[in-house]
Amino acid sequence: MPFTAKSGKFNAKINTVEVGTGDKAIKLGGENVFPFYTFDDAIENAPKVGIEITDGGMEAEPDCVQKLYEGCTTVVDMAKKAVTFDGVDFLSIRLEGGDPNGKNKSTEELIQIVRDVADAVNVPLVVCGCKNVEKDAELLDKAAAALEGKNAVILAAKEENYKTIGASAGLAYKQVVGAESAVDINLAKQLNVLLTQLGVDSKTIVMNAGTAAVGYGFDYVISTLDRVKAAALSQGDTTLQMPIITPVASETWTVKESTATEEDMPAWGNLEERGIDMEVETAAAVLAAGSDAVILKHPESVRAIKTMISELI
Amino acid sequence: MALKGLDIFKLSPKKNCKECGSPTCMAFSMKVAQGAVSIDKCPYFSEDAKASLNEATAPPMKTIKVGTGDNEYSLGGETVLFRHEKTFVSRTRYAVTVCSCMDDAAIDAKLAEIQSVDYERIGERMFTEMIYVNYAEAAGKDKYLDLVKKAAAVDRVLILGCEDPDVAAEALALVKDKKPVLNGANASNYEAMNKVATEAGVTLGVQGADIDELYDTLAALEKLGNKNLIFDCGVNSVKEAYKIAVEFRKAAIKDSNRTCGYPSIVRLDRLSQGDKHLQAALLSLFTMKYGSIIVLDQMTYAEANPVYGLRQNLFTDPQKPMKVEPGIYPLNGADENSVCLTTVDFALTYFLVSGELERSGVPCNLIINDAGGLSVLTSWAAGKFSAGTIAKFFAEQDIEGKVKSRKLVIPGKVAVLKGELEAKLPGWEIIIAPREAVQLVKFMKEL
Amino acid sequence: MTLFDVIFKGNDAVYGLTEQAIDNAIAQYGEDKPVAFPDTAYSLPCYYAVTGTKVGNLGDLKTALGVVKTLMTRNPRMNDAFMSGVATALCAEFIEVLKYIDGAAPYSEPCYGHLADAVIRELGVPLVTGDIPGVAVILGAAPTAEEGVALVKSYQAQGILVTLVGGIIDQCEELGYKTGANVRVIPLGKDVTAVIHVVSVAIRAALIFGNITPGDAAGLMKYTMERVPAFVNAFAPLDEVIVAAGAGAIALGFPVITNEETFRVPKSLIVQKDVSKFNATSLEARDIKLKITDIDIPVAFASAFEGEIIRRGDMQVEFDGSRVDCFELVHNKELSEVEDHKIEVIGPDLDEFEVGSKHSIGYIVEVAGKSMQADFEPVFERKFHSYLNCIEGLMHTGQRDMIRIRVSKDTFNAGFRLKHIGEVLYAKVKSEFAAVVDKCQVKVITDPEMCTKLRHELAIPMFDKRDERLTTLTDEGVDVYYSCIMCQAFSPSHVCVVTPERLGLCGAVSWLDAKATNELDPQGPCQVITKEKVIDERIGEYEDVNEAVRKFSQGALEDVSLYSIIEKPMTSCGCFECICGIEPLSNGVCIANREYAGMTPIGMTFSELASMTGGGVQTPGFMGHGKHFISSKKFMKAEGGIARIVWMPKDLKDQVADRLNESAKELYGIDNFVDMIADETVVTEDPEALLAFLTEKGHPALEMEPMM
Repeated sequence: MPFTAKSGKFNAKINTVEVGTGDKAIKLGGENVFPFYTFDDAIENAPKVGIEITDGGMEAEPDCVQKLYEGCTTVVDMAKKAVTFDGVDFLSIRLEGGDPNGKNKSTEELIQIVRDVADAVNVPLVVCGCKNVEKDAELLDKAAAALEGKNAVILAAKEENYKTIGASAGLAYKQVVGAESAVDINLAKQLNVLLTQLGVDSKTIVMNAGTAAVGYGFDYVISTLDRVKAAALSQGDTTLQMPIITPVASETWTVKESTATEEDMPAWGNLEERGIDMEVETAAAVLAAGSDAVILKHPESVRAIKTMISELI
Repeated sequence: MALKGLDIFKLSPKKNCKECGSPTCMAFSMKVAQGAVSIDKCPYFSEDAKASLNEATAPPMKTIKVGTGDNEYSLGGETVLFRHEKTFVSRTRYAVTVCSCMDDAAIDAKLAEIQSVDYERIGERMFTEMIYVNYAEAAGKDKYLDLVKKAAAVDRVLILGCEDPDVAAEALALVKDKKPVLNGANASNYEAMNKVATEAGVTLGVQGADIDELYDTLAALEKLGNKNLIFDCGVNSVKEAYKIAVEFRKAAIKDSNRTCGYPSIVRLDRLSQGDKHLQAALLSLFTMKYGSIIVLDQMTYAEANPVYGLRQNLFTDPQKPMKVEPGIYPLNGADENSVCLTTVDFALTYFLVSGELERSGVPCNLIINDAGGLSVLTSWAAGKFSAGTIAKFFAEQDIEGKVKSRKLVIPGKVAVLKGELEAKLPGWEIIIAPREAVQLVKFMKEL
Repeated sequence: MTLFDVIFKGNDAVYGLTEQAIDNAIAQYGEDKPVAFPDTAYSLPCYYAVTGTKVGNLGDLKTALGVVKTLMTRNPRMNDAFMSGVATALCAEFIEVLKYIDGAAPYSEPCYGHLADAVIRELGVPLVTGDIPGVAVILGAAPTAEEGVALVKSYQAQGILVTLVGGIIDQCEELGYKTGANVRVIPLGKDVTAVIHVVSVAIRAALIFGNITPGDAAGLMKYTMERVPAFVNAFAPLDEVIVAAGAGAIALGFPVITNEETFRVPKSLIVQKDVSKFNATSLEARDIKLKITDIDIPVAFASAFEGEIIRRGDMQVEFDGSRVDCFELVHNKELSEVEDHKIEVIGPDLDEFEVGSKHSIGYIVEVAGKSMQADFEPVFERKFHSYLNCIEGLMHTGQRDMIRIRVSKDTFNAGFRLKHIGEVLYAKVKSEFAAVVDKCQVKVITDPEMCTKLRHELAIPMFDKRDERLTTLTDEGVDVYYSCIMCQAFSPSHVCVVTPERLGLCGAVSWLDAKATNELDPQGPCQVITKEKVIDERIGEYEDVNEAVRKFSQGALEDVSLYSIIEKPMTSCGCFECICGIEPLSNGVCIANREYAGMTPIGMTFSELASMTGGGVQTPGFMGHGKHFISSKKFMKAEGGIARIVWMPKDLKDQVADRLNESAKELYGIDNFVDMIADETVVTEDPEALLAFLTEKGHPALEMEPMM
């Protein structure tokens, strides 16, 4: 007697959101089953993997990452190199230098970098802000304008600045709007509703429903993502059917497992290996919880996660 | 759907005799419903009542115990598919493979490596709990038995990967008292393997060429009366292993298919095909999705740090926030003269705050209060993080004896405590921090 | 002449001019000559948006004029007037576009004329976010240049985008007032037809930001009406053309305010003779709310000062409600009764008091708003404590007429005076409750006689009225309940159904709180639940409540009853103040509160009960609830109500005794019911002893039907 399982496919689907233009455009979402449950139904669009660079260029990267970008001097050089690594579906540029509590670079300077990077590559783009809500409102508004016609993801509008970023990215310049909330299904839902009420087409919204490195409050990430997917699929909740994109690198490369030197922690062994595994294991976990795309830093992490995805789909 | 306590109570003797250890029949019934005690603890339930309750309260997934003493582990016994529904009860356990096909030096190195990862994280010992001892026919039986002995000398639960019933029987004769797992029953040998395993009293791992054969073999073994089983998700492909792990768990929990209700073994040592970062990715995937035992080629700190953190997060009670140990945490090389900061023992708060403080590079003493593991505002509202409790904690821990600095930074969200704290901690300068942890770096640098 | 006649006449005049201009242009350039505004993808924007048809050349323009003519019906009805207004605007667009023919640059400094799409995208974002709270269109010349510039300046100071047409441009130049897009004062052009360039901005905003399909004239007007906060200030004298154009503005939802004595149309054509009041009249007419960014006080305002304690020696002056008459009050008024941002100090100010002295104070925050309800008064009032404490060097304790305020010497010396209390209350109430408060004014009273009078004649009667409202609110007396899912972060599937007689189980969210939360934050944690489809009156089960619970628990919960603890009881999150559970022997329930650490006759402690009851799972026989619910007539009504309560910790008993006795008297005619309830001083864990106690007291539960 063979094993027979009840199908776990749902009538509802995650929205399909296209990012980028032309041959290199990618589609996020579209699935009607839980993550990688291909036995329940075919998954049309495999989860996507992006690579992240920052406005800080080479010097902002850990040694092991710099090594792989050898020969690059500018952010644009890095962008060109980044898109050549195996498994890269899209490029993410994080404008962390804009943080008023950090380097506080001017919007003009950062937008020029965004423009130059956009001119240098033809893969879909994601622009991440500096995490300061006021500065991001300004920065991402201008980034959306600078990337007009590129169909880029602007990551992200938060509850505090969704009006500016939603109006700019979603309405004025027709980009894909990232909606970021802090590991709470109801906040995620509320922000999606607010953006939709503002007039942003729900089919052009992607969510960052919260992120953390594994071990660092990641329990909330798991449950939020699990619940968002369950509500979107089994309850058919249209306000949560946006695909999820999760920036992983910016969380994992700052924890001590990825930064403590071999001198400080001799027992822990090779630093690069620790950094890669922290990133890879976090990325695999968010994908297993339902993320439709992850953003990573180390090219080897990109390759490993891409391999895992292709093994599963 | 589990039975409600009230339904159990209706069948209870209602004597309040306390013989079960609970003060009342109601309390006992509630505990039974929760699965906290067995109904057999009560001598007065009628056999009929017990039988019907046992059937109704039997978990959809068996709890299988392996190992002994400190090394005894429960596998399976889950009642839900997602952690937010109810706490996952049995942590995923990890094993590293040694094989009789390896040379002695390689085996010794591997066994040493297995023991090198051993540390504590938020009150929990983290290490590789199991060793998968694989039998390579070509290397011969004796070498295998030697390997089993060697592996047994390391204080871990063994999983004997062996499909030959005779060899398995001899290996078990050496180590059966330690309750290892025998992984190697399949469609063609299950009767013999069943005999070997049941005689030795160990858990039997079941394999199949595909999901159907695996299912049939499990059913056949159940028919032989063996319910001390775990199933092997196979080595054909990652995709198929994931399918088996997920489909069986779903079938057991959602559709009450008891034949699927056993713990799983996932063979990443084979499925990753030497790609160590792929192995790391799959390690995380199968920890999330229903691997009970995950077998690896290697478990160094690189793999361990993240996956044990993940496991700790995954297997916590979704309603009870994780706590860190209250006390003084010196950061960035702080000494007794460094500024003090205080906050609650909610693990997420601790990680966020300590992370930002480390980022600031400013030496400081982070004093974690006993606030019931709640977040700042929640514990404040519940009266567990007030000027009174902070002052009491300072006195109990003799903070003033341990630290010379008299500057205390308190979370911006409880700025309201300032006045009262100044009164209760005379001599301390109370400073208000920003409301959000991300603003700490700037704040500390300017302090 | 009626208003209709004026509009039609004006429209006809403009139409005539337009026809002539087009014919002349065709004669000069031929029909194939292209016409377009520069730098826009929507040429001609207004005509395209209204009709869905693009105009490419003079021939098209001529055809378009024919279409415009069809709008110009002449029945004396509002719709005809509006359509003629729209036709006037479209004619203006045609006249203006002809100015650009052959690549001409018809406008020069300081006038802008047509604005490019890029400018609209840039201005559109702050318009959508409210950073530009409104768009003023000033038309004609003010009575004097000074008055004109003062009006422009007043809007500019509020962040409002100002566009200028006609004489006002000269007036600005005359006084050397700086204009330009960078300072958000944009002179468009000196001909009245230049007004179309701001209409074009509004219309393209609708196309770009509102996703309005060109040709969807109804959708377009709805969008401009609801989302483009523009208004017109038209100075006397008004000619027919201006009135006709004004009708077009009104059709788009933009009110016209003028100082000429002319026809009045409520909310649309408003006569305001006093030009200095144009600003206030316009903002009110267009319902524009300004964002408050900073609070004008001489000391810091931050949560860091919330816990500050001001000791006697540091104190400049004190107001003490326990000694003299003091009170704080929010009072809901009519819109016409409130002048926004008026702060009045009645009585001596801080510098007239002796150092260290004690006085009366009363402050009344009078609010008005279209969505404001008297039920919100206490919700705002409760926040005063935190607002005032955020002021550096000010300490506030208590509430209602039992308040105490101390002001420190340093703060006094920094220049802090009573009006600053008003400024803080104004700014916080206005910004935090912007959804319902349109206008707000504050009175700070230190005149002792007036404080006494107002305390007894205004404040106390209002407090009494509110208390009475709370006690008379019943589940049957309201149409809707509210959900509360504030705890879902901890307890994912839990949903509280908050009713007037059953507050949230945390004890912190009453029906009124939930209602206010919902009004202030419509997407927030409290949502309206209707209760129209009753399933079972006895246990309080409703189809609509079940649907809501299903939705808010993401399907984890199927159905709940409001009044039973046995059948489909409501779930608990973990924040509950109390838990009640069945004690079978006595046929009643025991209640344990969070503070009680001991054993209960059920055989479980509070924390054991909590671990079984929490987590959003239905546990028949057990339920979490707030303390206030204990004396509610709805407390386990399905099982017979409060007569089932057989045991409570002493502390809890003391807290609820009065109200519980009252309810028991009313429901069952029992006096001193609380004395029949056992507590830990009589019995801690032995059900037999409990039964004996209850028998001795003649507790009603013993006579009731078995619960299971």
